[in-house]
Amino acid sequence: MLLALILIPLLAAIAVALSPRTSPALPRLLALAATGATFVISVMLFLRFDIAGGMQFEQTMAWVPSLGLRFHVGVDGLNIGLVLMGCIVAFAATAVSWDIQRDEKGFYSLLLAMIGGILGAFVSQDLFWLYFFHELALIPTFLMIGVWGRGEDKNYATFNITMYLTLGALIALSGLILLYLQMPLADRTFDIQAMTKHFQLHPIAAGDQNLIFGLLMFGFGILVSLWPFHTWAPLGYGAAPTANAMLHAGVLKKFGLYGLIRIALPMLPAGSQRWLPVLALLCMGNLVYCGWVAMRQRNLNGLIGNSSVAHMGFCFLGIASLTLVGVTGAVLVMIAHGLLAALSFGLSGYLYSQTGTLDIPRLGGLLRRLPFIGAALMIALFAGCGVPGFANFAGELMVLFGAWKSGVTGHWMVVAAAWAGLIIGAVYMLRAIRNMLHCPEAEGAGEWIDAIGSRRWPYALLIAALVLFGVAPGLLTDAIKPSAEAIVKMASSGKANAVAPAAPLLKAASTH
Amino acid sequence: MATQIENIAWWILLLPLLSAVGITLFTLRFHKLSAQISIAAVSVSFLLSLLLFVALPGSAFSVSASWIHVADLSIDFRLILDPLSKLMLLVVTGVGMLIHIYSYGYLHDDRSLSRYFASLSLFTFSMLGIVLASNFVMMFIFWELVGVSSYLLIGFWYEKASAADACKKAFLTNRVGDFGFILGILVVWAALGSLEFDQLKAVLAAHPGKLGAMAGVGGLLVFCGAMGKSAQFPLHVWLPDAMEGPTPVSALIHAATMVAAGVYMLCRTFFLFQATPAWPEALAFLHGWTALDIIAWIGGATALMAALMAVQQDDIKRILAYSTLSQLGYMVMAVGLSGPSPAMYHLTTHAFFKAMLFLGAGSVIHACHHEQNIWRMGGLFRKMPITSWTFLLGALALCGVQPLSGFYSKDAILAQAMEHSLPLFGLAMGVAGLTTFYMFRLVFVAFFGKERGEQAAHAHESPGIMTWPLRALAFFTVASGVMGIDHFIAGAFAAGGHEAASLSFAEALMAPFAHSPAAAFLGLFATMLGLSAAWACYGAADADPLPQRFGSIAQTMRHRFYFDEMYEEAIRLTHDAIASVADWIDRWLISGLLVRGAHGSFEVFGRFLRLLQSGNLQTYAFLLVAGLLAIIYLSFSH
Repeated sequence: MLLALILIPLLAAIAVALSPRTSPALPRLLALAATGATFVISVMLFLRFDIAGGMQFEQTMAWVPSLGLRFHVGVDGLNIGLVLMGCIVAFAATAVSWDIQRDEKGFYSLLLAMIGGILGAFVSQDLFWLYFFHELALIPTFLMIGVWGRGEDKNYATFNITMYLTLGALIALSGLILLYLQMPLADRTFDIQAMTKHFQLHPIAAGDQNLIFGLLMFGFGILVSLWPFHTWAPLGYGAAPTANAMLHAGVLKKFGLYGLIRIALPMLPAGSQRWLPVLALLCMGNLVYCGWVAMRQRNLNGLIGNSSVAHMGFCFLGIASLTLVGVTGAVLVMIAHGLLAALSFGLSGYLYSQTGTLDIPRLGGLLRRLPFIGAALMIALFAGCGVPGFANFAGELMVLFGAWKSGVTGHWMVVAAAWAGLIIGAVYMLRAIRNMLHCPEAEGAGEWIDAIGSRRWPYALLIAALVLFGVAPGLLTDAIKPSAEAIVKMASSGKANAVAPAAPLLKAASTH
Repeated sequence: MATQIENIAWWILLLPLLSAVGITLFTLRFHKLSAQISIAAVSVSFLLSLLLFVALPGSAFSVSASWIHVADLSIDFRLILDPLSKLMLLVVTGVGMLIHIYSYGYLHDDRSLSRYFASLSLFTFSMLGIVLASNFVMMFIFWELVGVSSYLLIGFWYEKASAADACKKAFLTNRVGDFGFILGILVVWAALGSLEFDQLKAVLAAHPGKLGAMAGVGGLLVFCGAMGKSAQFPLHVWLPDAMEGPTPVSALIHAATMVAAGVYMLCRTFFLFQATPAWPEALAFLHGWTALDIIAWIGGATALMAALMAVQQDDIKRILAYSTLSQLGYMVMAVGLSGPSPAMYHLTTHAFFKAMLFLGAGSVIHACHHEQNIWRMGGLFRKMPITSWTFLLGALALCGVQPLSGFYSKDAILAQAMEHSLPLFGLAMGVAGLTTFYMFRLVFVAFFGKERGEQAAHAHESPGIMTWPLRALAFFTVASGVMGIDHFIAGAFAAGGHEAASLSFAEALMAPFAHSPAAAFLGLFATMLGLSAAWACYGAADADPLPQRFGSIAQTMRHRFYFDEMYEEAIRLTHDAIASVADWIDRWLISGLLVRGAHGSFEVFGRFLRLLQSGNLQTYAFLLVAGLLAIIYLSFSH
């Protein structure tokens, strides 16, 4: 089933690329069918998932045995929710792409490749494939922003996002390679579970752990817009076509966080002890500083982009807390934010298609003119400032609780995070509501048309998922808990090692 | 037993939610149907509450629904049914039901009536959630939801910029309180290891010192939540602005429910404040004070300040808003004086007569075609007899005139103050006098004398759908003082949980004079004083004499002591300033390339970029890696 999840979009991508030019509607239909199928499969997987824990729906195939390369996919509590969220977002992103009028064939085949890559990255249990699929998803992202992007900033944004993300991926890659090299020659493998088991039994020297963890943290961190490597995100999302922004901000961006939890924490416990306090400090930058930056945005996408960067701070804080509650909360925020970011960018895309601008002062009274889109946007903005009833609240609440009792993250950090989430977030979200949705209608509003019929359901689907997991977060947390527990336990085993003095960086590096 | 009676509470809670969801999804176009659904939902909730009140003695819990269970964080949704919540259920659904009905008369031709009733149902649901919450997180969740639904209601006429600003201000001010609240919850949870009220209470009863040095801080942080919702100084600024919502909304939110939530929460968590008082090292100067002392003084200060502000307002709704603030100050002060039961008592009676006053004001505004300035009314008594009589009754109750309910509950607070703190007793007396003064200023100017405006001249009585709720509330305004509510509440806080012996009607009527004669007589005396002063100033006035006589003092009172201006300036100097700096850094330093022209001349930028692109990428990549290495190096070198 997991294999089908990857293959359906990838095969559909090829089919779209080969489809005849004479049937212009075909690419979109194929893409909808493929993402619809993956959506159904992911729901079935989620329903059949056993919350008792462990890796499930595994599929393995030997590939290059001499290098220890296998094709290995599986889901446990950590990624089952992410896969479901990814499929929902992919379906919705495909559906809202009706405004793409230019070279639909190219667009949908790249979009499907990106979706296949994203799902592949999240289900792979093999380092090689994990990285490969991530790159497979990343490259179409760059191309699509460059070709179908919008705004005068397009070239600059494409350049910026490409450079940042490539760099992040390369730094992470160097860390992963060093990690691979730490395995004894005889049992070298890329299999994540085997590697984790090995490094638990035979921990890497503390100095090397520190180096590798540092590389992974910054590499993955850049992919997740860790402060101060975040400026590509608002810029890139502002220029990206709607579907891209939804998929990248919603799903692909979570890859870095997933990598940190799946790979860095359990394999490098001593490194975690060393670096998590730094991560906790940097994420204050995300939460507070980027919140302030968001307060100053006059453009809706700039606001959503910066607030999305700020929300990543909650994920980082939860991970840095290294408590079960915090890490589970972080995973929950990842899922919730994925749905929310997709919803927000989807709505801003619709607005742009009607108004031709996302300049907040030039929008006004949208609730009256576009009741559905306006109400949906209001829901998104409220969910973004942590209103209960949406999954984001549950996740952020857990992060606060987890971080409060953690030895790593200080109480002042929780105070700052609560201030950022409750006050700063509310200030910019409510200002946006006041200026865009409330107040008298803006000039030219008479020509804007509300979403009707089938254009509504992608948004309805995302809102429904947000509400479902907000009202019953146990659906996710019960599944996440066993996996998160194992990882927190493994990562905490580094406490004993961390007491030993860390080797200086240069010495650690010279051992290779 | 398959279905236990306490599980009815789930229906009480969920019916308004079903109504809100149903209206939003299906009946937005059918205004009358939406109104019927919403009114039916709250009415059934009320009847079920009544059933529980009668049929369920003592305390009970409903079945619980699991929410989050991870490690040491376990949160369930469980509904608490004790005397406190059963009484509050009746108040919320009872007063709420009357306001629902009244709303239909008041707003029947509004084009967004369905949206109104959906928001109203959502609000009722949220408020009932607070009442029924059995643990801190559940209370916090509904606390936030009340914030959201009140936002929707205050901003109902969102096309008016003033309404859009008011709802934003209400939400943000409440959020500041909630910020303290959530930290308080974290402190309590970390120290006591539970979130359930009954478990926390048991733990603290067994080990009063278990909160350690954080006892005072934890209590005050939790109080922050109440400070926001119940609009206590210094977070009081949102309440008067929130009058931008439709008048029935003001009646519901600002009289009977939302603002009462803070007081209710303090009563619910009163056990926290009975812990051994202690302060951390940094707050050693507070030694000798308890959290309750501070709460009492904040309540007292709010009561006095709001009463002073009310004296110089001209908008009929704003006067009532400040009087609400002032009465909430009374309640909070009572809690601070270790008297949760007088506070709950006053909350209950106040809910009746304040809702009636607001609905009466709505009736007046409706009749005067949305004229709200009392100086353009006058002579309404003859034109609107039902509205005027009920309004007068409400005003008398608010002033604490025997035998109306306000007298009994206010007297309970005065007696409590007399027993615990004479300075606060004096302050409370002063507020009582002021209350009568500004209320009768309103009554004399708006209802008596001659018509001073075109609208007032053509006013006529409102239809029955609006006057019948007034009549019903008038009944409770008269009767709720002698119905034994105080004994019922006292039973909730008594150790055994048993109700005290009921008094006969005559005994109940005169109980305050038997219990604490000095407080009762002094209270009545203050009222008389205020009344005669109001008569002297406004008995036959066509314009307000105070500004001339007191000049700048009156001016300051009229401008609400300039709190709003001070806050705006403070926010501009802090958050907005920091945000600009952060934005500047982001744009010019972190974003780094300094390529964007300051005036957004993208053409220049594009050319520039083309020139720089190849070299720039390398420079930038180099800088990034260099920075990264520097960070890695620095973090190892210490």
